[in-house]
Order: sequence, then C-alpha cells, then structure tokens
Amino acid sequence: MATPLIGTSENIERIRELIYHVADTGLHVIITGESGVGKEVVAQNLYDKSPRKGNPFIKVNCAALPDGLLESELFGFERGAFTGADRKKRGKFELAHEGVIFLDEIGDMSLLLQSKLLHVLQGGEFAPLGSEKEVITDAWVIAATNQELEQKVKKGLFREDLFYRLNAIKIYIAPLRNRPEDIPLLIDYYIEKYFFQFDKKRIPKPDPDAMEKLMAYSWPGNVRELQNVLKTSMVIGDWEEIIHDLNLKNQSATVRRTEELALKGASIVDVLLDFKGDYSSDQASFSLKTVTKKATDRIEKEVISFVLDKTGWNRTNASKILKISYKTLLYKINDLNIKKPQR
Amino acid sequence: MDNPFKLLIIDDDEHVLATLDDFLRDKAYDVISASDGLDGLKFLESDKQGFDLVITDLIMPQISGMSLISIIKEKFPDTPVIAITGWGEYPGAFAIESQADKVLSKPFELSELDKAIKELISSKKHKIQD
Repeated sequence: MATPLIGTSENIERIRELIYHVADTGLHVIITGESGVGKEVVAQNLYDKSPRKGNPFIKVNCAALPDGLLESELFGFERGAFTGADRKKRGKFELAHEGVIFLDEIGDMSLLLQSKLLHVLQGGEFAPLGSEKEVITDAWVIAATNQELEQKVKKGLFREDLFYRLNAIKIYIAPLRNRPEDIPLLIDYYIEKYFFQFDKKRIPKPDPDAMEKLMAYSWPGNVRELQNVLKTSMVIGDWEEIIHDLNLKNQSATVRRTEELALKGASIVDVLLDFKGDYSSDQASFSLKTVTKKATDRIEKEVISFVLDKTGWNRTNASKILKISYKTLLYKINDLNIKKPQR
Repeated sequence: MDNPFKLLIIDDDEHVLATLDDFLRDKAYDVISASDGLDGLKFLESDKQGFDLVITDLIMPQISGMSLISIIKEKFPDTPVIAITGWGEYPGAFAIESQADKVLSKPFELSELDKAIKELISSKKHKIQD
C-alpha cells in the first residue's frame, strides 16, 4: 500500500484528480518538483490506482550509477558481454514488464542512454548488452526530476524528442512553503506513522503557537525535512527549541541565498560590459558609449524576439505593439540578427 | 440552427481560447472551453451526450494535447479531433501519431479551422449513417 497523498492544498487536490483520471491510461508520466516533495509517493499512488497494481514496481536512480553500470542495470547483459560478465543478467526494463519502472533523477541521464530510452519508449523493444535479440517490454515509465528539463533541452543536454515523449502527463508537486495548509495534516500523519514504527513512542503534538511557526517556516528540504524534524522531536521533545534551531538554520540559508543573488547580479554586469571580450577588467578604461550600445542592443533583441514570438512572427502586428514603423522593425531584425525559429 | 453541433476547445492560452470561443459561437456552434487537458478530460468524461468534435492545443501543463488525443481515441473513438500546434517539429508529429484527424499550425486562418470542422463533422455523420 502506497503512502497516501497528504494535503488539502489546491496543488495536492489537483494531483489527486490527475492520478484518478490518468492512472489507467498507461501514458508516460514525468513528475517534477524540488528535492524532498514526495515524487516517489506520487509515482506509487499512480501505480496503486492503475490496473498494473500487483505487478512489479521497480525504482532506478539515474544519478546514483555511472553511465555504463546504469545501462547494464536498465537493459541487462548477456554472459560474456564484457569483462566480468560471467552470467546473464536481466535488466530493470525486462523485470518491470507489465509493471512500472520509476526512473528517478532522469535529468542526470547521459545523451547516449537517453537515445536508448527513447528507442524503448517508441517501440517497447531493446537489446541487452552483448545480445543481438531484442527483448519486448511493456513497462510503464514514470520518470521524476528536480531539474528544469526545458532548460536542459535548450542547452542540448536533454533530447527534445524524449522530452516530449515523457511529457505525456506532467505532474508538478509544489514546494511545502507554497502550501503551508498541508503542514498540520502532514505532521498528524507522520506522528501517527512513527508511533507505530518506533515502539509506540509518541511525538508531542506542536501547540497552536508552535504550529503557526512551523507553517511559517520555509522548509527548503520539503516533506523530507519535515520527517527529519519530527524524528528529532522524538529525542528533543521541546518544539520551542526545535523551531529556534530551524529558524537559525533558515537565517544562515537566507544569507547564503542573498550572496548567491549578488554573485548572479555581478555576472550580468560582466556580460553587459563584456569583460571577457574587448574590455578586460585589467584595462584601466573602456567606452561607456560602447557598453551602453551593447546593453541597449541586447535588450532590444530580447524584447523584439519576444514580441515576434508572441505574434507568430507577424511583423505588422509586432511593429504596432512595439510602436515602431514596419521599416524600422525590418531593419532591427536584420541589424540585431534576430532569427525566426525553425518550425 | 435547431440542433447545434457541440464542440470542446482546450487551450491553456487564455487569449487563443477566447478568440476561438467567440469565433465558433458566432458560427452558431455550442461551445465548451477548457483551459487545460485535465479540465478538458473531465468535461469529456462527465458529458453524457458527448461532443461532436474536440479542438485541442498540444503543449499544455498536466495532460499534454498529444496524450489527450490518445485518451479520446481510446475512450471516444467516434469523436474527431483537431490539434493546433505552436512550435517545434515534434508536437505536430506526435499529434499525427496519436491519430489527430487534422493538425493546424499556428498562425492559421479562422476560416481554415471552420472548414476543417465542417469537413470532419460531415465525414463523422457519413460514417455513422454507413
């Protein structure tokens, strides 16, 4: 029995609805969200509500294994396929036949394995290492990631065709800080669960004042962090002390985030000033006029590209929106080297 | 029209949805609009009389248009589907693979959409009569 989805937030209610409507379709699913939000719990709930329940549910962490090892884990190998392969081994895709294969941290999969995965998703067939015979699998692929796959596609680190194949059903789990109304319910659930799990040791329930503070806390580690805090409370038992420690930790994290943002801000200045190009930071002076021109060009290019994209490259409409003449727009498209995306 | 045809439009872009909704109502169709795939699927599953045709965007959160077409073709095989696609080569190709009856690439003329709707509904009627 899967851990139930706990919460009454709009995000969780929507996920429940989505699971209800798609669990029997067998369409591939990708679950996204920050670390610790409970992506595996959602995968198990999908499996639990599907006709595949009772068949294997196999989890593979794509980030935990080096490429070669992950390949042999997923697809298996024949005896003698490589040095040390003294026996045949069935891959997880074969073992998950008629069940579920849960590919966690899919964003870390190499391009080579992505193409092999795509092949399986397209035809349900794959060849184990060292084998010439294709094996057929009817595994339902549920993948998960905490990375922005769209960005990885743009950078060429994730295959676009695989991205669309996996995005058949997309389930986004919001971070806990965006759904504080779920926190008291999660706390109640885990207090009860740990009571039975840890020799009937009862965690003291936070009083209303402590609960309010826990709901206001940002929970950067999400539900996993909440679970750890509840386990800690079994030992410490004093919610005031636990909340005090959490806030201290949170303050130092905020300072770190501010420093990171400051660093990011500096890098934008770097780009605009083109320190790495004509204007080395070692040089004593550089032309403000040229820097301003570069910055303006950059902004103009971004804005014009955005408007062209929104108007489906209808230049007449775009020039009206931008309040420039049609001729000026054509000139700028050419001058700023704005390219129409390939359809 | 005594008995207008019932259409379901699904698009997460409010502007596109409103434009299509207005246009098709003006053409005297009975129109239901949904702003994502899940809501669209809920309308399909809860409407007892069924829809004469579905128009769906492809890239949407939660349930993609491609998936929605697969589900429609599985659960409501007699309902024709027009897919509208924005960018990239893959969504359109997947829409055809999912057996969309017609794929229109944005930007398209509304008259083109109207023509496709009439053709698909008429061919559906012929199939039923046969």
